Amino acid sequence: MLERRAQRLAIMFVAPATIFMLAVFLIPLWKVISQSFTTMDGHFTWAGYAELKTSILFAKVMWNTIEISLMATVVTLLFSYPLAYYLAKQPPRRRAYLMVFVLLPFWTSVLVKSFAFMVVLGENGFINQGLRAILGGDLPIKLLFNRTGVMIGMTHYFIPFMVFPILTSLLAQSPDLPKAAQLMGSGAMRIFFKITLPLSMPGVMAGCLLTFILSLGFFITPSLMGGRKDMMMANLVDFYMRETLNWPVAAAIACLLLLLSLAFISLLSRIPGGKSVLGEAG
Amino acid sequence: MGGGEKPVGASVNPWSIFSTVMAWLILLFLMLPSFIVVPMSFGGKFEMMFPPTTFDTILYERFFSTGNWIATTITSFKVAIGATALALLLGVPASYGIVRGTYPGKKIVTLFLLSPILVPVIVLALGMYLYLASFKATGTDLGLIIAHGVLTTPFVIVTCMAGLRHIDANLETAATIMGASVMQSFFKVTLPLLKPAMFAGGLFAFLMSFDEVVVAFFITEASTMTLPVKMYSSIKWEISPILAAISSLLTLLSLVICLVGAAAQKKT
Repeated sequence: MLERRAQRLAIMFVAPATIFMLAVFLIPLWKVISQSFTTMDGHFTWAGYAELKTSILFAKVMWNTIEISLMATVVTLLFSYPLAYYLAKQPPRRRAYLMVFVLLPFWTSVLVKSFAFMVVLGENGFINQGLRAILGGDLPIKLLFNRTGVMIGMTHYFIPFMVFPILTSLLAQSPDLPKAAQLMGSGAMRIFFKITLPLSMPGVMAGCLLTFILSLGFFITPSLMGGRKDMMMANLVDFYMRETLNWPVAAAIACLLLLLSLAFISLLSRIPGGKSVLGEAG
Repeated sequence: MGGGEKPVGASVNPWSIFSTVMAWLILLFLMLPSFIVVPMSFGGKFEMMFPPTTFDTILYERFFSTGNWIATTITSFKVAIGATALALLLGVPASYGIVRGTYPGKKIVTLFLLSPILVPVIVLALGMYLYLASFKATGTDLGLIIAHGVLTTPFVIVTCMAGLRHIDANLETAATIMGASVMQSFFKVTLPLLKPAMFAGGLFAFLMSFDEVVVAFFITEASTMTLPVKMYSSIKWEISPILAAISSLLTLLSLVICLVGAAAQKKT
């Protein structure tokens, strides 16, 4: 009896945070939705959405966003899997030390990363100087203010997000399985493709969806490391908000971005590896 | 440097050599920004090069003597401390209610409390701007503290939920059986045991707020700019070598918080 009463009391512990979130999270989200239907002088309008339907700029940016997010997800996966695989093979103590190299970039400001990459990737940066020394006096390769720059910045940002769930699913595998396969004569390749990879798919799926969702709303990296052609939806929100002062359009784009993200978040919450990611990251 | 487990059969396995080399190249890529900014920050006044050719601490001196940069840094500290306090105050009890409690609608409430992490930050930034503008409260420190509270509270909740799952609930039950009220058992039994998780959650909340740029970019004004917002406009419009010194200091802050936070989390 007593314990049950105590459990009911738990609602009081959740109440302050819930009220706070209702007041300063849910209402602001509602403000975005209502702004997307409201003209600057306060009347109801469809104009925001109508403009997006015909806007060539919006169509281009929407396509960019999906294309960049997909590319970033694939490239991030290609880099994250070998790293997670290597980390999973290490003895626990050594893995703990190596994790610092993944955690530090995870906790490093995106501005620090952007600044460093802009210095390194610039026309006179250290990469281009190196390339010139090796390849001779060719023109500098453009690594900044284009799609390559955005990809480098985003991949760097997302690798830790992808490594965590893949590592979790690799570590959850019994080490006896590959050993058994090896004793029965399977080669390393066969063990990897028939046992390790399939069993790690929940982590891969969760990591990919998480990366894709986060990249849909990316703002800083495309703004600093991309060119005019690499604008993403978040940059377009900023553009309409500050430069053309068209709030209904800015809010309408934000609403579509929210809807798109929610669709993939609900997908993430349905897949096997998703629950752990949502538990970890949110 | 080889793999942890020796294969039963072959002694050298090309697959494991390949994976080791790949892994170290990727780790190098991940650490590249940190490896770049620190040496660069000790380069000369006009140099924006890596590797630097001189050794000088002038960039740090310039950072600490430029009023603008210092003012934004102080704002960032104020906001991050406020947001951390808010997140702990709201997040710690909430995590207790989520892990130990049973009440109708618990799943929905939990999902709702954690959802700010999943909403695109730009949407939240726009919403916060519209919301604060309706009170004419854009450009105030309090507005930014509240906005960062929304972003950091879910992280404190998640960290403390993990911490609570490692604390034996029987200890609390024992306290209640012996006559302690729910409040007494929370403050005298649970909170002391939860200290490491709270500490880690607080550190991460502080760093998140201190480094946050998108929301701050939307709702601050020139007079209340935070350090990341000033860095953003500096990188965008007039890239300055001082950024190397600031970046090094931020990397150091991240490193310390990441190590101390990880150590604290391990304690639970």
